[in-house]
Amino acid sequence: MRRLLTGNAAAAWGARLARADYVPAFPITPQTEIIELLAQWFGSGELRGRLTLLESEHSMLTAAAAAAATGVRVFTATSSQGLLYAMEMLYAVPGWRAPFVLVNVSRGLASPITLESDHNDVLAARDSGFLQFHCASCQEVVDSVLLAYRLAEDPRVRLPALVNLDGFHLSFTREPVDLPTAEAAAAFLPPFESQGIEFRAGRPVSQAVAVLGGSAYSYFRYETHLAAEQALQAHGAIAAEFAQRFGRRHDAVERYRSDDAEIAFFMIGAFATKAMDAVDRLREAGIAAGLVRPRLLRPYPAAALQRALAGKRAVAVIDQNLSVGKGGVLHGELASVLYGQPDAPLLASYIGGLGGRDISAGEFFQIARELQDAVLARRVPPPRLLYTAGELRQMRNLQAIAAGERGMPEARA
Amino acid sequence: MYRIRLHGRGGQGIKTGSRILGSAFFGAGFEVQDAPVYGAERRGAAMSAHVRAARTPIRERGVITRPDLVALVDETLLQVPAANVLLGVDAASVLLLQGNGDAETWRARLALSGTVVVLPAAGERAEAELGGARCAGAAARLAGVISRPQLIAAIAQELASLGPVATATTTAQALAAYDAVAPHAGVLRESRPAAATAFAAPEWIDLPLESARVAAPAIFAAATSVEVRTGLWRTMRPEIDYARCNRCAWICSTLCPDSAIRVRADRSPEIDLEHCKGCMICVSVCPPQAIRALPERAARARELAAAP
Amino acid sequence: MNPALRRMKDLPSTHLLGAGSAMCAGCGGLLALHEICDLLGARTVFVNAASCMTLLASYPFTPFRGSWLYTAMASAPAGAQGVRDALDILSERGRLPPEQDLTAVALTGDGAATGIGLSATAGAIDRGLDFIYLCYDNEGYGNTGQQSSPATPLGARTATSTGAHGHPASKMDLFAIWVAQRPAYAATVIGADPLDLARKIDRARALKGPRLIHALAPCPPGWSFDPAEGVEIGRLAVKTGIWPLKEYVDGRVVHTHVPHPRLPVEEYLKRQGRFRHLFEPGRDTRVLAQIQSQVDAYWEQVCA
Ligand SMILES: Cc1ncc(C[n+]2csc(CCOP(=O)(O)OP(=O)(O)O)c2C)c(N)n1
Ligand code: SF4
Ligand code: SF4
Ligand code: SF4
Ligand SMILES: [Mg+2]
Repeated sequence: MRRLLTGNAAAAWGARLARADYVPAFPITPQTEIIELLAQWFGSGELRGRLTLLESEHSMLTAAAAAAATGVRVFTATSSQGLLYAMEMLYAVPGWRAPFVLVNVSRGLASPITLESDHNDVLAARDSGFLQFHCASCQEVVDSVLLAYRLAEDPRVRLPALVNLDGFHLSFTREPVDLPTAEAAAAFLPPFESQGIEFRAGRPVSQAVAVLGGSAYSYFRYETHLAAEQALQAHGAIAAEFAQRFGRRHDAVERYRSDDAEIAFFMIGAFATKAMDAVDRLREAGIAAGLVRPRLLRPYPAAALQRALAGKRAVAVIDQNLSVGKGGVLHGELASVLYGQPDAPLLASYIGGLGGRDISAGEFFQIARELQDAVLARRVPPPRLLYTAGELRQMRNLQAIAAGERGMPEARA
Repeated sequence: MYRIRLHGRGGQGIKTGSRILGSAFFGAGFEVQDAPVYGAERRGAAMSAHVRAARTPIRERGVITRPDLVALVDETLLQVPAANVLLGVDAASVLLLQGNGDAETWRARLALSGTVVVLPAAGERAEAELGGARCAGAAARLAGVISRPQLIAAIAQELASLGPVATATTTAQALAAYDAVAPHAGVLRESRPAAATAFAAPEWIDLPLESARVAAPAIFAAATSVEVRTGLWRTMRPEIDYARCNRCAWICSTLCPDSAIRVRADRSPEIDLEHCKGCMICVSVCPPQAIRALPERAARARELAAAP
Repeated sequence: MNPALRRMKDLPSTHLLGAGSAMCAGCGGLLALHEICDLLGARTVFVNAASCMTLLASYPFTPFRGSWLYTAMASAPAGAQGVRDALDILSERGRLPPEQDLTAVALTGDGAATGIGLSATAGAIDRGLDFIYLCYDNEGYGNTGQQSSPATPLGARTATSTGAHGHPASKMDLFAIWVAQRPAYAATVIGADPLDLARKIDRARALKGPRLIHALAPCPPGWSFDPAEGVEIGRLAVKTGIWPLKEYVDGRVVHTHVPHPRLPVEEYLKRQGRFRHLFEPGRDTRVLAQIQSQVDAYWEQVCA
């Protein structure tokens, strides 16, 4: 059944269709709606189990993993500062091999404090051991939560998964969403299976214990890496089954008009649909543009990306994040898998959409133009922040007020 | 380069010993590296420290796997496999051992082809707390490149914060050891690093993906810690005089922090020497004073003598 | 009170906590833990915060006959919350036979209990979490080499309080912080008084809700004394009135032992290296008097 849902509601529906038993929670904008909706459903009996409001995200993540390690299906959600507050546990719990799903509603990080979206929060969790799904639509949010549970709970994987959606652009935006029926969701996602990793009287287990020495440490750490790599294969089969049951394909890498493209945009998240629009307009203008978008960022679908981009002339990575002192995170990651490939494209880096800043259609077109120039010149332009003279003029006005110098001529320069 | 490894137990001054030796080499004009290696364990548990000294800047790091000298503060560690006391000891290495017996017997017992030097044990207390300093003193003499004043200066520097009394006792002990091994002065030689052509290729494997249950740091069993012989931490041993024990039952057993005193069916206590760490709490709490403390070394010697 | 716990002989004579753990010889925390384990039994899951005791379970060795989960320094009570909630959910679904249920026990040092983990603790008490919080109090950050924690007492020398008068602040009152939130139960105990400890564990075990067991844990390396003296020092902590043995139950604080006559605090202090600077080279009369008067004031108020 199709109905209008915000991304937050879609995330909550994902948890509901997954029949989450337990939701440890803590409020933060723009995520709060998710836990409020779930609280309502637990209250009304539409969901069985319980929601516990913790006193911090650090505690919330601890409780989530501890409950998963006790053998129930767990869902939780946070955003930005909350994700970072939980960071110690984010890195700790994948090693427990007790899967659960965490939704992150992306929001820029302080400082300066902001409520609007970018991807630095979720990318700070990049190396934690959580599998990472990135959504571009509200439909994808509900579907990804179900896929994430299947993948995380796969016996070969057993790692927690993070499903990311952009604050505001998805979290507060209503779109038509085709909700699977409870029966169909249940057929796709069987009940949680602890696989003997649980706490029970009479069956003692000491979990998450210390190790002595680098050999034991290396073994356990690398096993989580092997499990994450295995998740890539498992994802292929699970996504195929999902497509068969629900008629929607969610491959690890989405390719939009990219197979015959000469130039391509590369991005994740909600603004990728804007890139699709730009691709259509560019095609109308006779320019062979396309979009390549990883849905899975961990495990990193390296081979699929190499295939998708082989033979393209130039690719623009549009990073809605900033690794201070380095640049765009996705750019560096993509470069590492394309380096040395026989027909690798030129790779240009753009930073855009920080703290909710829009990326206009004109900017996509201009990026395409620069890529075409780069192909001719056989050289990419230096990394660029998408930022206009008009924006800087506005900044100057704000700065003049902040400095108590409103109206000073040089501030208007 | 001199590569020297000190082995002992937490509480025997191994780290201090390595620092004294490091400072002594430094004072003698060498480039130096010294570092302790801690495990999780505590006072009484095996630990080691590593000293490198050379005439050129030192770029090696970490554990010394090819020692020129292994100094062993406490010979009972030879029974602790995890201590890995003899790691890399070969015909060119020197083993300095603090304990009883003569060098030839030790060479034979340990099947070593290199030099063994025995540093006669001092009193129990000095050994327990100053073992590291004594070994440092002896090692300085074995190297033959550190003078008495340089050793004394190094101790003064390392123990400055502990005050004059501690410095004086430590200096006396270290100098006694320095003098005791005088006949072997210079036996320790610098060695060259392994050549790039003479190495055994590492047996690298591709780690297989394994099931989450075994590939997680989780223990699916109860009380596996009894596999760990913490009895080897002990320097003093409690011994029950059953004639005196009035079977008050469980005072000693309840107050032993390590669950190392069992109560038998006849209500008499029995000490689990495999695990008793030798804290001597039982000795001090037994109402009729039926438990006495005796040096572990003496207890072992007695056992050996009694063995058929 | 369990009538079976009148004399030492009524205490368990077999011990549940396995030997061979990596705690120091003579560890007062381990002493309390092993006595407590005997009474709680093996149907427990200890949820641990970073501390000395984290090394109790070190792969592949564990002394526990029940279960264990290491979390992080700040969030052991939240881990207990997750386990408890999950067990309740399973139980409501009929998927947890009663005999498989467990008691969640948060196990932390004083540093976690009075500092970094205090908000997680307050949250758990506020939510009425059904758990036991076992804090073994060695009065400092022991695992990192005994730096001052909020639980370090006035005058003690630690790795970070090295001044002439030792630690400048008084010990934070964890028991009072708990009692202010009206928990189901709270008690102070010490391994050196196993009978008093046993009765309290027995009482705590029978209750539901947040329950604190706060054990003073004489620590040979951190407090600098010969391990053989650990029990004697613990007894002196009680006899001098420095460590009041008490419990909060049914909304009232009751002292389970009123030392009479009370020994001077010096009897306790002078046995420990961490207070030596109060006696040598000269007596620090100001700090000694301050410590004594704080203890006197406490007991005056109790006995008033
Ligand atoms: C977030 C964090 N900060 C610091 C540490 C380092 N750390 C480990 S144990 C410890 C001391 C704990 O003190 P306490 O709770 O009193 O337990 P004790 O070590 O005394 O047993 C510290 C600071 C840590 N593990 N985690
Ligand atoms: S000395 Fe006594 S109290 Fe200490 S560990 Fe050994 S048996 Fe237990
Ligand atoms: S405490 Fe002493 S008297 Fe009591 S059982 Fe132990 S040895 Fe015997
Ligand atoms: S440092 Fe203290 S608390 Fe920690 S294990 Fe040692 S004795 Fe116990
Ligand atoms: Mg502490």
